[in-house]
Formats: sequence, C-alpha cells, structure tokens
Amino acid sequence: MTLDPLVPPFDPVTWAIPVFVITILAEIVLGRLRKAKANYEARDTATSLLMGLGSTIAGGFTAAIVVGTTVWIWQNHRLFDIPMAAWWAWVAIFFLEDLTYYWFHRLSHERRFWWASHVNHHSSQHYNLATALRQTWTGGVNGSWLLWLPMAFLGFPPAMIAVQKGISLVYQYWIHTEAIHRMPRWFEAVFNTPSHHRVHHARNPRYLDANYAGILIIWDRMFGTYIPEDDKEPPRYGLVHNLGDFNILRVAFHEWIGIGKDLAGSRSIREVFGYLFGRPGWSPDGSRETSASLKAKWQAREAAKAPTAPEQIAAE
Amino acid sequence: MEDLYILIGSAVAVAMMVAVAAWARIARPAPALDESSARAMLAEEFPDDAPGQLWIAADGCGVIARDGARALVLFRLGDSWVSRALSWDDAVKAPVRGGKVRLRLRDPAAPVAALAVSGVNPWPPESDNEAIAA
Repeated sequence: MTLDPLVPPFDPVTWAIPVFVITILAEIVLGRLRKAKANYEARDTATSLLMGLGSTIAGGFTAAIVVGTTVWIWQNHRLFDIPMAAWWAWVAIFFLEDLTYYWFHRLSHERRFWWASHVNHHSSQHYNLATALRQTWTGGVNGSWLLWLPMAFLGFPPAMIAVQKGISLVYQYWIHTEAIHRMPRWFEAVFNTPSHHRVHHARNPRYLDANYAGILIIWDRMFGTYIPEDDKEPPRYGLVHNLGDFNILRVAFHEWIGIGKDLAGSRSIREVFGYLFGRPGWSPDGSRETSASLKAKWQAREAAKAPTAPEQIAAE
Repeated sequence: MEDLYILIGSAVAVAMMVAVAAWARIARPAPALDESSARAMLAEEFPDDAPGQLWIAADGCGVIARDGARALVLFRLGDSWVSRALSWDDAVKAPVRGGKVRLRLRDPAAPVAALAVSGVNPWPPESDNEAIAA
C-alpha cells in the first residue's frame, strides 16, 4: 500500500462528525430518560456547539501556514525517512504525539498567553459531550502548533502527524461525560478517562492544574500532575471566575481582552512579560489569585478543619 | 466545495442538537435563592470571606453580601451561577435601571451583574440591618 506522505488518507475528525451528533443526541435522550447522568442547558449547549463550528472556520485561516511549515520542515530538514506504512512508525508517533499533546496542554493551562486560547474550552459550567466541542478560535495564531514541528523534523510525514492529531482529538471527545463513572481499573491506570478528565475540568481548588493527558494518563503520573477524582468531592465545572453570559465572542476573546488591558496598564518590561507569560492570575503585586495561591488557601482551610491530635485521641 | 457541504451540514446539526437539548429540559435545578441557600453558595464561592448581611434579588436570581469593604456578588446564568467581588462603595453606587441594579464588575469575562430590584428590597439597602430581602 502506498500512502501519500503529504495528504492524509482520511481526516479522523471529519469522519467522527456523525458520531459526535449521534452520541450527543443519545446523551441528551438518556439524560431525559434518567438512564444516564447528563445535564444540558440549551444556551450553554448552543455556545459550545457554535464555538466548535467557529473553530473549524477559524482553523481554516491558519491551516495554510501550519501545513506549509510542517511540509517545509519535513521536505527540507528531516533527520530520518520514516515510512508511513510501517507499523512501528504508527506506534512511535502515537506515543510521541501524545507526549507532545501533554506538554502543549500543560503550557495551555500554566502560561497565560496560551491559556487565553484554551480558556474557552473550560468556560462551560457543564460537563457533557457538547462541552468537548467547545474549541478555540485562536489556537492557530498563538503558535502552539510549533510544538508538533519536531516530529516532522524527526522524519514523520506530515500526513501521519495530521492523522495522529485527529485521532487524539477524537479520542478526547468521549471522555467529556458524566454518564460514565469509572472505566475498568487497568484502563483507568493507563488511559485518559471521563473520571480523569472531569478532574481536569473542575474548578475546585484541589483539582486545579491536573490531568493534562490526551490519550494516555501515564504522562500525568510521570510528571506529577495526576490527581484522581474523589467521589467525596464532586467536580464543580467551569472557570475559577466564570463567564457572565453566553456571548460567544466573549467566550472566544475575553482573556485576550484581559491581557490587552493589563498590557496597557503595564509599567515595566517585567510586568509585560508577567502579564503575557506568567501563570494565569499573575499580577505584579500578587493581589490576584493563581491556581497555586488558590490551592494553598484550600490546603490551609483543610488543615484548619483537621482535628488536632488530642481531639483525635478523644474521638478514638 | 466538500468543505462547504460539511460546514452547512454541521450548522444544521448544531441547530438540531440545541433544539433537542431545549426539548429535553434536563438543565440542573436552580431554584430561587433564600437566605440559607444563598449563604451556602457564598460559602462555596468565597470560602475565605465572612459575609454579613445579605441582599437577595427580587427574583431570587442573585445575592449581594457585604464583607467589610467588599461586596460579594452571586448571580444566576442559565442553570449555573457566577460570582465576583467588588468594593462595597462601588456596589452601593451602582445604578438601578429597568428594575435591575447594574453592578460594574470591571472584568472582560463578566462586565456587569444585573440583579432584580423591587420595592420590598430596594437597592442600596437603607441600612445594614435592612439588607436581608423580604
């Protein structure tokens, strides 16, 4: 079989569109029949789905430069000739792409410039299959796609990279649900699951900045960002500071506007750098909340609530 | 041309899914706030604050609580809730238009909170002791 290294044999996301529609309808109907845990609010659903639709349009504007750069690197600077028909090449790209996704995703949460693009995906206070489609409109312009170029540099054909990115995106769709409580233990240990990803979408301080996995949860376990879902503390979804309406332009651009306002008021290069590339919530005087400060306060509250040693003894 | 067909088909599918979501009526219950439920939600949203008197919106879809110099605001969006804090002085000066007090939140993510006012619970409360809505 000959595969064109430049033209993907199929687009997993396009193929999956009918599955998206059928499964969202099924989740709604099962929720209605009380056969599955599912909450849908019509305006929230509309916002999520319109963000998804807009994302495909916005992606079209930057596709040429993303694809062009990837092809240029592969054609002119690749280190190896990796055959697209080799099984080991697909195994290798599966792990490499997933590792790349982990770091892309972590960057997208831990640095404000990239968070500004990604925040919209977390802006729903619902967690259902429609939330999965609440995708960014500005991902093509923030340069995060550069993280995938080393794969082309190594010699993976651009078509392979595109297919594997699509497979990862489609995999991550089904984990956006409350209908599935837990997968089998072996599966939870290796793969990203609805339970792991509910933690990722939670705004409870204990769950912030965790579970960045795409397909494999092993990366979070390896790099220390794994937090299991605790049934005693159900996730509360959305942002630390939730959006005030369902305006899709606000969903898409509010953090960019916030960055612009902060930059306009900056008084030094340090402040410019901090507002752009600091952690979300960074401020020169530390007056705003970051994930770290929210977690620290939560830990202090938990410590204050915990019984002291004599009380424990008395209780025993 | 194929991309255009996919886009049109997707737009039709979006409309259908939203219609089915509206038909299903499976939003979370979001009953009007009373003092007890408002305090519970404020405790969750502002765990390090100690809200004093509450002012609850006429329709039960929002609450303003005072904690010293801060006004803690909570308002309903769909079946969910949004919270922000602002200075109490700014909150007291917020204009009432069209039966709603409009609080400027100075946040691009949520520029304004509009909470229903009635004759029973005017804004601003005339004194701290009268802050709790009828």
